[in-house]
Amino acid sequence: MWWGLVRRLLIFLVSTAVASVVVFVLLTLVGDPARTALGTNATPEALAEMRHRMGLDRPVTTQFASWIGGMVHGDFGTSYVTHLPIGPQIGARLAVTMWLVAGGMAVALVVAIPMGTIAALKHRTWAGWLLSSLSQVGIAVPAFLAGILMVALVSVELGWLPSGGFVVPAEDPGGFLARMILPWLSLGLVQGAVLARYVRSAVLDEVGQDYLRTARAKGLTRWRATWRHGLRNAAIPVLTVIGVQLVTILIGAVVVERVFVIPGIGSYLVDSVARQDRLAVQGIVVTIVAISLAVSFVVDVAYTVIDPRLRRR
Amino acid sequence: MSLSDPALPPALPSAGVATGGRGRWNPLLLTGGVIVAVIALAAMVSFVWTPFSTLYTDTDNLAVGPGVGGHLLGTDLRGRDIASWLMAGSRTTLYVGIVAVGIAAMVGTPLGIVAGMVRPAASEFIMRVTDIWLAFPALLMALIFATVFGASITSAMVAIGIASVPAFVRVVRAGTIGVMKTDFVLAARVAGRRGPGIAVKHVLPNIAGLVIVQCSVSYAIAILAEAALSYLGLGAGPTTASWGRMLYEGQSVITIHPLLVVWPGVAIGLAVLGFNLLGDGLRDRFDPRLAGR
Amino acid sequence: MTLLVAGCSAGSGLTGSSSATSGAAQTGTEIAQSSTDAGTGGAASSTVGASSTQPSGPMPSDGTLKLGLVLAPASMDFTTTDGAAIPQVLLGNVYETLVTQAQDGTIQPGLAEKWTVSDDGRTYDFTIRSGVTFSDGTPFSAADAAFSIDYVKTKWTVGVAKAMDAVVSATAVSPTELKVVLGEPNNLWLFKMTTRIGAMMSAQHVDSLATEAIGTGPFVVSDWQQDQSVTLTRNDSYWGAPALEKTIVFTYFSDPTAMNNALLTGDIQVITTVQTPQALSQFEDTSKYTIIDGTTNGKVMMTMNDARPPLNDVRVRQAINYALDKDAIVKAAWAGYGTPIGSHEVPTDPWYVDLADRYPHDVAKAKQLLADAGQTNLTLRLALPPVPYAAAAAPVIVSQLAQAGITVQTSDVTFDNWLGKIFAPPYDFDLTIINHVEQYDVTTVFSGKPDYYTQYTNPEVTKLETEGLAADHDTFIADFRKVVTILADDAAAAWLWAFPNLMVADATVHGLPENAIGESLNVAGLYTD
Repeated sequence: MWWGLVRRLLIFLVSTAVASVVVFVLLTLVGDPARTALGTNATPEALAEMRHRMGLDRPVTTQFASWIGGMVHGDFGTSYVTHLPIGPQIGARLAVTMWLVAGGMAVALVVAIPMGTIAALKHRTWAGWLLSSLSQVGIAVPAFLAGILMVALVSVELGWLPSGGFVVPAEDPGGFLARMILPWLSLGLVQGAVLARYVRSAVLDEVGQDYLRTARAKGLTRWRATWRHGLRNAAIPVLTVIGVQLVTILIGAVVVERVFVIPGIGSYLVDSVARQDRLAVQGIVVTIVAISLAVSFVVDVAYTVIDPRLRRR
Repeated sequence: MSLSDPALPPALPSAGVATGGRGRWNPLLLTGGVIVAVIALAAMVSFVWTPFSTLYTDTDNLAVGPGVGGHLLGTDLRGRDIASWLMAGSRTTLYVGIVAVGIAAMVGTPLGIVAGMVRPAASEFIMRVTDIWLAFPALLMALIFATVFGASITSAMVAIGIASVPAFVRVVRAGTIGVMKTDFVLAARVAGRRGPGIAVKHVLPNIAGLVIVQCSVSYAIAILAEAALSYLGLGAGPTTASWGRMLYEGQSVITIHPLLVVWPGVAIGLAVLGFNLLGDGLRDRFDPRLAGR
Repeated sequence: MTLLVAGCSAGSGLTGSSSATSGAAQTGTEIAQSSTDAGTGGAASSTVGASSTQPSGPMPSDGTLKLGLVLAPASMDFTTTDGAAIPQVLLGNVYETLVTQAQDGTIQPGLAEKWTVSDDGRTYDFTIRSGVTFSDGTPFSAADAAFSIDYVKTKWTVGVAKAMDAVVSATAVSPTELKVVLGEPNNLWLFKMTTRIGAMMSAQHVDSLATEAIGTGPFVVSDWQQDQSVTLTRNDSYWGAPALEKTIVFTYFSDPTAMNNALLTGDIQVITTVQTPQALSQFEDTSKYTIIDGTTNGKVMMTMNDARPPLNDVRVRQAINYALDKDAIVKAAWAGYGTPIGSHEVPTDPWYVDLADRYPHDVAKAKQLLADAGQTNLTLRLALPPVPYAAAAAPVIVSQLAQAGITVQTSDVTFDNWLGKIFAPPYDFDLTIINHVEQYDVTTVFSGKPDYYTQYTNPEVTKLETEGLAADHDTFIADFRKVVTILADDAAAAWLWAFPNLMVADATVHGLPENAIGESLNVAGLYTD
């Protein structure tokens, strides 16, 4: 089992390295970052000087090595557009987004597990059919559209909640919650709909299993049998899906942060893209990708922990 | 965002709406098919006719409601006919999907077949590469492309297409592995058939269904990604009829003219719903074991 | 994102933008100017400015006001970074200028109490206010003024800095006397000194301009969250009347709807630039909100590449102007807020001639002119920078030109590409839509020489401009009136509308400038009931 763990860890590290190469190639080698950074002041002399400052006249491998080397130490470089260090920005914004993602995921789970389970257990009745349809519709609605509609209705028309912004939870827990409810719902309801389908399917798979029939034969009610045996087994594939959903929520947060003016890593990314701040985009993308890969890694490991059958790998 | 999410173990069956029946035309397939057909029809018709030209701005009838000035569904902030834009917008929606899914299918399918036919070590390697590829979802890829190449519908489509490749690779690989175990293939090998021949004659026909299903699923993802991009202002421009663009322009006045957001929102939602249902329906159709769930 | 072309001129000639008055805190000042025309330097005029007095109105409070804006500053250094985001927050609030411009366009004392101009119009003697300190405690004197002027000439890289080329020397004769000598008389130089190039800086801090702003103004920067907000706090050692609110937070929104919502829900108290005028009807309740509809120096126009065939044919350019219905464009694109203009001028310019009806909407005439020019099936490309007014006007323009038989293909370009390929050689465009925000910039945008992206060549215009700038006041105005008329007759561009200063504020907020005279948003005079 330890070999499995180490093997997975290695895969994670190598994958992250490869991903960073891809990001580097796309954002540093394609086009002319020096020209992008200079804009109007792009005389040939200025361009040459900028290229030198950005280290673009060094061999490609050296450029890559120094970038990676810096990042490992937490130094993401200084933006040529904003003249500010990128690393601390990423750190601060990431913290904000984590709140958004965590809450969104929580909402998704709270929605998906009951909905999916009930839809599975009642899957031949009209209730099950209704829930399934609801989840289909939920999937079709983009998270940001849900957000826009919610702000228009709840914040503007009804005035119940603020329309956005972010306050540090430690400083103002009430304000923090008030501002996060709508973003959490926007992200969570949609993802909940997606997750519900997996839950339903996973539970359905389990419900037909022999061991459940055995449990019922032993005298357990349908519900308790499902709970004690079925759901825990259903958790395995659902866990994998949660891992994927976390990443989807992280990406979805990019747009939701725009709707609700939340200064997270998603809005930092969009702003950097709009400014064509290549170095910042490079750092942010690598961070997000590394997080995604890390989540996969963790889920993979959790998978083996939960399901002993997989430990042999 | 749908069930063919590639990160799942391929064994997870679909969870379609309870059909209570089998047969070629289950309700999912029907509903999804009809929705997609309507959208495609609107797109086709819009090539030759729309109630008003999509370029025409009726400046005497700005943001009017349905029925005013001969505009069936009213006009937008610049006086453009909403019904015409919805029709022409379906063109953009379909176009984005076709290019993105086309790229993904044409790159992902061969890769998946290869991954399914080579030795386990090589296959494993391809899967690792796919896993890394998966860490770049559609929106992220589109943002990278927008930084480097500038934001446009073209860069968006290509980016989304590239980001959708791993989904195809996974699905096709799983299917290919299954096909390779069948007696047909065994017999073909005994008869001296080589890799490429087997691929074309046996694998391809048998995984075609899977590919079609994945196309439908990836299509829905592409539509959502393009809508998100347009909302961020990185998609279609101000004179391109696109539902995402309509959303983008309408959301600033949502409390004054809510219909400007509702129409394109419903259109996008319906399109995604349609393709998702179609995908589920096709999956049920191609894999009857899963029907009735 | 509002694209402001302030400071983006790559060509020679004078450019610049001006700052508004240094806060309503100085409403008590009396200004005597010898000429009543707005903005003259002229020969042998002298001004006397009274020192600022404490206004008898509201008293300073310790409150906080939050403003909503759209384009966040990328750094604190406007000497090397184009665009209005940085001077908007820093100029007038943190950095001050020797002279300022009042809402009515007249020049007022700033850090210079008074000034005289020599008879030949080339030497300016400024009397520098005493007792002024930078926010780090060091005193401000004429030496710092001389340093700042030299710094513009030697180290600034933004286009507007070229206006300082008019200066031959700047010398501190004494701690309170500054002598500036120009190469030739220049009617507009003093106006340019009210813009960012006139900002007085401290020599000790020029190496950290990007990250800190040390000036003499009524505020200091107390916090800066990149892309999100800049917080200004009252400078208690300010030489003049103290700012009325203790803290002003400039909050940046990349999404105009979110900004509207923030005002509706009370998160901010002022929207300083309305990006979606159609949404203004949400704020029509005057008991809760005040809508400000003032003027700016902005000229929203569809620039035509005058050197590129077939646009080099005046008939084609005139046809385009006839095909456009400017009133309908303003109505559809900017909800009717904005006055149509017919040349490179705004109604507040001293030489303004009303040319808005030079080409009344006449599709038949447009078609006729195109036929005469042999261009009946014309296709042109329209490049759109990422600004809301361009995206708003484009569909209407495309529709109207289509009716005259002109097909227009639009393409979105990034700010970067716009600056690099359209605004700079090779000037690769047919048509583009942009808002030229600088005051009195006709000499840059249409110098009559093909040194600017407009590519308009007309030696007569060059002659009139050069002569007017150095002449006496009346000739100056007459010459410039001729210039704008010629530009209209030549249809050098298709001017659309004078960009309004649209703001929305809580009804409790007062002191907002009605007209945006320059790049700065002066907030010292803001207060709430």
